Amino acid sequence: MLSYIAKRLLLAIPTLLLVAVAVFLLIRLIPGDPAQVMLGEGADAASLAALHHDMGLDHPLPVQFAAWFGHALSGDLGHSIVTGEPVASMILQRFQLTAIIVLVAVLLATLIAVVAGLVAAWRRDSIIDLAVVGSASIVLAVPSFWLGLVLLLVFGLKFGWLPVVGYVPFSESAAQAALFLILPIVTLTLTQSGVLTRMMRASSIDVLRQEYITHARAKGLAERVVLSRHVFPNAFAPTLTLVGLSLGHLLGGIAVLETVFTLPGLGRLMVDSILARDYPVVQGCLLFTAFVYVVVNLLIDICYPLLDPRVTTQ
Amino acid sequence: MKNDPDNHARAGLSRSEAERLNCSGHKRTMNWMLASFFAKLRAGHGQPYRRLCTQLAALVIACGVAAPVAAETVLRTRLNSDILSSDPGTRRDENTDAVILHVVEGLVASRENGSVGPLLAESWTVSQGGRTYTFKLRQGVVFHNGAPLTADDVVWSLRRYLKPETRWRCRLEFAKDGIAQILSITAPNPQTVIITLNRAAPLFLKTLARADCGGTGILQRASVGPNGVWRKPIGTGPFMFGAWQRNQFIDLVRFPRYAALPGPRDGNTGGKHALVDRIRFLVIPDSSAALTALERGSLDILDALAPSDLVLMRGRGDIKLDMAPTLDFYAILFQTNDPLLRDARIRRAIALTLDTAGLTKAVTQGTARPDNSPIPSASPYYGPTETLRRPDLAAARRLLNEAGYHGQPISLITNRRYPQMFDIAVLVQAMAAEAGIDLEIETLDWASQFARYGSGSYQAMSFAVSAKLDPSFNFGLLIGDKTRDPRKVWGSPEAQKLLRQTMETDDPRQRQALFNTLNTAFMREVPAIILFNTTHIAAFRANVTGYKGWPAAQLRLWNVGFSGMR
Repeated sequence: MLSYIAKRLLLAIPTLLLVAVAVFLLIRLIPGDPAQVMLGEGADAASLAALHHDMGLDHPLPVQFAAWFGHALSGDLGHSIVTGEPVASMILQRFQLTAIIVLVAVLLATLIAVVAGLVAAWRRDSIIDLAVVGSASIVLAVPSFWLGLVLLLVFGLKFGWLPVVGYVPFSESAAQAALFLILPIVTLTLTQSGVLTRMMRASSIDVLRQEYITHARAKGLAERVVLSRHVFPNAFAPTLTLVGLSLGHLLGGIAVLETVFTLPGLGRLMVDSILARDYPVVQGCLLFTAFVYVVVNLLIDICYPLLDPRVTTQ
Repeated sequence: MKNDPDNHARAGLSRSEAERLNCSGHKRTMNWMLASFFAKLRAGHGQPYRRLCTQLAALVIACGVAAPVAAETVLRTRLNSDILSSDPGTRRDENTDAVILHVVEGLVASRENGSVGPLLAESWTVSQGGRTYTFKLRQGVVFHNGAPLTADDVVWSLRRYLKPETRWRCRLEFAKDGIAQILSITAPNPQTVIITLNRAAPLFLKTLARADCGGTGILQRASVGPNGVWRKPIGTGPFMFGAWQRNQFIDLVRFPRYAALPGPRDGNTGGKHALVDRIRFLVIPDSSAALTALERGSLDILDALAPSDLVLMRGRGDIKLDMAPTLDFYAILFQTNDPLLRDARIRRAIALTLDTAGLTKAVTQGTARPDNSPIPSASPYYGPTETLRRPDLAAARRLLNEAGYHGQPISLITNRRYPQMFDIAVLVQAMAAEAGIDLEIETLDWASQFARYGSGSYQAMSFAVSAKLDPSFNFGLLIGDKTRDPRKVWGSPEAQKLLRQTMETDDPRQRQALFNTLNTAFMREVPAIILFNTTHIAAFRANVTGYKGWPAAQLRLWNVGFSGMR
């Protein structure tokens, strides 16, 4: 197992290197000058040149890349050219919030999906199945920003139960932080549960057709036992793959939700930095996201053998 | 669990919300609920029991997060993006300027009519043919750290701004090629500052007062650490710089020792009074979320409301609106070096296809004032030459024929970040098509469009210019040597000469005549088509008092409070 993990981590190095090069070049290929965005419409050529020099943007690209990547290897992702803050601390600070929302929402969505998917498959073509499939399709089709705005209007404005803007970090008040995170987590849970439920239902239907399920039933096992001991472990693997992909994708930022709920997360940091052409922050965010993606998928791969003994790390 | 009295305000909750969540205010309710709870429990009522459990849980959560009702008054407003720094006029944008100008003050400041009035300077004299300015400072002004304002602080602040490493936006205005070079800044006594220029510059004071220069705010030395690193602004303004949680909020705290000028508020000068204990600028990028927050009462003031959102706010008893004409303008810029658009007849033909009034009404829901001149309609220099161009398709077609235009495509760049720029592009395209002009819209993101503006690599572009308090600044953005500065759209030597003349005299009549001449030439040569000056719209809760917009469109929260306050 350890050699497997080491091998996977070694394989991540060229991936991250490629990401670094691509990110560095792509952000510079996009037209737009951070100095110009910062200085505004009245900036003259001399001010622009001075700011380019301060930002290190007057050096040749290979020199800029070598300097940035060399520092990145030692964990120093540079400083934001807009705010002057260290990029690494900006990312870690923002990632905490995004991670809390995503991990809780995906966990809840997975629980909902497992239960709803199993029950729908078990009672296939019944009214329960129809309700589950219909609900999953609806939440799958609804854009997250729209759902978020509707929830804000209903629970924030209409009933006034939950705050509509602002955020308090957990370090200051866990209870208030929780209040602010209820709506984003509910929104993300609902949107994620749709796809996971459909996947869980489809794989459970496949498993329920297998002969060993017929055999288990023929042995006289209770349906609860059949479902929990024989159907769930075999049907969950594809859903777990999807959970891994979703986690990797969402941990990279939920910019739309963070914007709707005014949360200072990683996604909003990335979008703001792209708009301002804040190269070091964009590069840092994307590199970090790629790293998270690799790590999450490695963890998911490690989890497979725990669910399905047929899968080994060899 | 913290019971920090600041937590509700930090969370952006209103006073009423805080009171609703307040535990002490619910003691009686809680006693009743507990009595009911046990009574129902004893009676074995399942459904009410569950409901009571839910209510109790909600109350317990509320009690846990509640704070005692704070006597502090907090005014909450919205920024659509975070400020870039707290150092005046350096890393800045309009949000940064608006926040910082509550904290720092300069020697002089802009009045609402575009003129300059005293702020930290009690008075000044100009001598040596307009080259020497002698400022007498006001007595009794103290910085936020308690230190008295002296001429030495002014000298230190101005010299710091002029150092290249400070990266002050307006440094080059006071360098050799700027409006005038500052030769010396001296303090012959603690109340007097003398600034000597290399030449007369009537725009000197107006430039010092510019919001994008941070109002050339005078800072106390402790604003900067011993190693020269910026700490925070220690100014003389009505509010002190408080907490700054990046991308969440900025707090400004009332400065109790603020030395206010007598008289009413006037632009960035006049009588400025901090009526609330704290101002909280909440960073809310999404306008829908900001509107919801205002409706809910989680925001007190929503500044710079989009005209399209106006309909949602009109006719509500709990929301008031303030509308103020501004000195900005929206325009179509032309690249006058372009092989096709070099011909003024084609540019004039495009202008003649446009129904400026109709376009303005459509794009701004009738809130803006149509204007074809770079001199905004709210400017005191808006004069007799500033007439709206009437659409004339026949004349447009004739000009196009004379210029040999045969439907060659012309790229019109726009973006979706600023919806009004996009709408303008769509309408201009449709109107120009009436005369057979083929405008092809190219939609870019704002940074990309801005880069094209900076390099001059475009044919036509939908653009906007922020409010400037003097028409010279507006013309200055358009006129210049295109070989040296590709952003300029109008490189005519005559126009450059006229612009220089407007900056070399402070006689209003002479300046009016020069602006009239410039405007007539501008309308003839059409290096750009100015379309309208917007109206700054703010929506605020009905209990907010004293809010008033002004032509600079810059948010001012001094003299703003709540009804029922002392």
